[in-house]
Amino acid sequence: MTLAPAIEVHDLVVGYDALNAVRGVSFTLPRGGRMGLVGESGSGKSMTALALMGLSPTGWHAAGQVLHDGVDLITETDTSFSKRRGRTISMVFQDPMSSLNPVRRVGDQIADVIHRHSKVSRREAMKQALDLMVQMNMPRPEQLARSYPHQISGGQKQRIMIAMALACYPQLIIADEPTTALDVTVQKQVLRLLNAAARDRNTALLMITHDLPVIAAMCDTVAVMYAGRIVEHGPVQEVFRSPRHHYTRGLLDSQPTMDNIALDGSSRLGSIPGMVPPLHNLPTGCAFHPRCAAASEKCRAEMPELGANGAACWHPVKEKAE
Amino acid sequence: MSAIATNKPAKSRRRPRWLSNTALLLGIVISVAFLAIALLSAFYLPHNPNVPRIPDRLLPAGSPGYVLGTDVLGRDILSQLMVGARTSLLVGAGGALISLIIGTVAGLSAAAFGRIADETISRGADILLSIPGIVTALVLAATIGSGALTTVLALSAFFTPSFTRVIRSAAMSVLQEDFITAARLYGRPTWFILLRHILPNVAGVIIVQFTLFFAAGILTEAGLSYLGVGVTRPSISWGMMLNEAQQQVGISSPLAMWPGLAIVTVVLGLNLLGDGLRDVLDPRLSRRGA
Amino acid sequence: MTLSTRDPILAMQGVTQSYGLQRTSLFAPPSSFKVLDSIDFDVCAGEAVGLVGESGAGKTTLTRILIGMERPQQGRLIFEGNDVWSATPAERERFRRSVQMVLQNPRSSLDPRMRIGTALLEPMRSLRIEGDHIKRLHEVLEQVGLDKSALERFPHEFSGGQLQRIAIARALMPNPRVLVADEPVSALDVSIQAQVLNLLRDLVRDLNLGLVFIAHDLSVVAYTTSRVSVIAAGRIVEVGQPVELFTRPTAAATRNLVDAVLTVEAGLEGKAL
Repeated sequence: MTLAPAIEVHDLVVGYDALNAVRGVSFTLPRGGRMGLVGESGSGKSMTALALMGLSPTGWHAAGQVLHDGVDLITETDTSFSKRRGRTISMVFQDPMSSLNPVRRVGDQIADVIHRHSKVSRREAMKQALDLMVQMNMPRPEQLARSYPHQISGGQKQRIMIAMALACYPQLIIADEPTTALDVTVQKQVLRLLNAAARDRNTALLMITHDLPVIAAMCDTVAVMYAGRIVEHGPVQEVFRSPRHHYTRGLLDSQPTMDNIALDGSSRLGSIPGMVPPLHNLPTGCAFHPRCAAASEKCRAEMPELGANGAACWHPVKEKAE
Repeated sequence: MSAIATNKPAKSRRRPRWLSNTALLLGIVISVAFLAIALLSAFYLPHNPNVPRIPDRLLPAGSPGYVLGTDVLGRDILSQLMVGARTSLLVGAGGALISLIIGTVAGLSAAAFGRIADETISRGADILLSIPGIVTALVLAATIGSGALTTVLALSAFFTPSFTRVIRSAAMSVLQEDFITAARLYGRPTWFILLRHILPNVAGVIIVQFTLFFAAGILTEAGLSYLGVGVTRPSISWGMMLNEAQQQVGISSPLAMWPGLAIVTVVLGLNLLGDGLRDVLDPRLSRRGA
Repeated sequence: MTLSTRDPILAMQGVTQSYGLQRTSLFAPPSSFKVLDSIDFDVCAGEAVGLVGESGAGKTTLTRILIGMERPQQGRLIFEGNDVWSATPAERERFRRSVQMVLQNPRSSLDPRMRIGTALLEPMRSLRIEGDHIKRLHEVLEQVGLDKSALERFPHEFSGGQLQRIAIARALMPNPRVLVADEPVSALDVSIQAQVLNLLRDLVRDLNLGLVFIAHDLSVVAYTTSRVSVIAAGRIVEVGQPVELFTRPTAAATRNLVDAVLTVEAGLEGKAL
């Protein structure tokens, strides 16, 4: 018997009043799979993550189907959802500074998660917490466990957050920009750690970020979001090597790489003109058409669905002739 | 989009937006009505609220000529309430206004003029806050006599430190913003930055605090007058009416109800107004594109 | 090296800055901490130079000294050949007009209660610059690629990328010779970053501006500038052309920064982590 996927999302809609930030998102993440959700601010990627965790902000509604661990999370009650968070599904947030309780020792905070979700004694929970900190490559874990959040660095805090997320061997970790707030030289270490820890536990990983290189490094598949919809979805190798959607192409072209660093200043980064449209004023048809060079009358009139090539585009980018 | 039809109830601890707007609306209605009645009392009263008419004593509400009835000396309740509204308005708004002016100046100075100014003002505020307001009021009443002016002074002494703190912290957070750095880079002096950049950005906080302190002032004034250290006749205050009415509880209970109801309604209205304004004026809560 | 022939507009020479630390014990002498240690740094007209380093390396202090917000304890800040801190008032005035700054977070760098037009005129008014301000406004808006209708609007009506253009426009208003940009794209979306980086490069070329570009991300700095200084623990540990730094980093701090750069290509080849 094959295991059910870690999460299966069907036609997720998340919105506020009549405005929808997420407009029908569907994807499946198998057990132990790694998927990246890329998008710019306002693309709906963070709202998707929050909705999956049942943490939509006040006044927001979520509809559709989110199957996980045999239940539909959309209809899950608050109480049973809070028993689930940290146990079968957990999240690593962007800002480790504000995600830890400032007046509780970090070791205790990890132990709290273990104690709450598994029937072990406090002493045993603390022991497991220390084990986790060792696995997170944290030096002198006993001493560190007794520290308060303000006494440790941002990178260490994010490791604590990851340890807490992993504590109960969840099926799925959602990581929302886990390294954006960290110093550049620490980012890679934290990613490496998250990568290894998730692999060891066969935990599925949903990486939410605007950073394409992070996705390329960590994920097997990628979904590119624009204006609340997935506009391209497929294996990372295919999508990033030969993107079919013009938006994905544009994002890739605007990455500074070695090729762009020309001393004479002759090469230029490709950039996407215009800006992400506001929710209350979305363009008709394909939401990307005002910024797209290939846009036609059809793009203005009809919204494309994800096709067999993995892109929601009427005029997909031609495959690279190689 | 049929998906929206299957809305699940919002998982919310805060009020939905429409309710907060209704609350604001209610606050505005109550506050405006209160202001109108207080102003009207200066030009028109059904009866002289201080002249006793023994034959008409303790009439129930709805009696001919006396909409809300009369008290133990036959004085018209409605007229007393109207004059009481004026007292509440003057004392509450007066106390809030004085503390607003001093508190804003002190708070902005503490935030912007360096550590010595900050320490002096903040510690001064701490000391004032450590003295119970009721003691201040009693001391003032004992030295300069009780009355509306004393109450206003007591209220200002009581509210100014809190106001200072609120404005200081609001100004501090604006001072962190990069546009302040930018203004400094262009060589703008501190007073200019205070007036041009910080004041407009904390104006919302000032307005909200004003309405909340206004309400607290009315409540405190009622308390002081009830204790007999506030307003005395011929002025009339709701607190004083409560004091007089409590002697009649059992004989004519509604007497205590009317001023109590007035206090509760107005304080509630002002608080709703303040909360509503906070939501409306806070730019972080205002609606953006995404 | 061509260093000797260059004639920098703005330069720091041997700047050392230290801050006193809190006494750890009553009897210990108060210790101090060197934030900057004999820094030499300069920029010429029409040249874009980069400054990279981790947070805490001293970038912020260096920037503050460079724009004249902080006086160096040792060493000199030279503008057009004169020491800024011992210059005549007229020379200082010229320095203040000629060295302008673009801050990191465009949302925070514009007063939310001030119309864009007023905000753009702020530097002209406070620096008491004469001339046709309205004409200048229109010129600058065109340089950064914004429409005149922006002037009447408030900051919250714009996206992050547009606001950064506005912030750049404000810095350009006094017709500066040097633009100091502190992490100007780190708060922006990827597709917008490229727009702003390209704009900065065009301005350097078209206006013969000196650009000082401060960032933590080596790849972004490398794209925008032609000479990069790496700062670590208050010292400039390496200076070179971006390609050299990328391919042959010598200092440990540079190697760390190069190693930290993630690229899509490396990720796809499975060599990123």
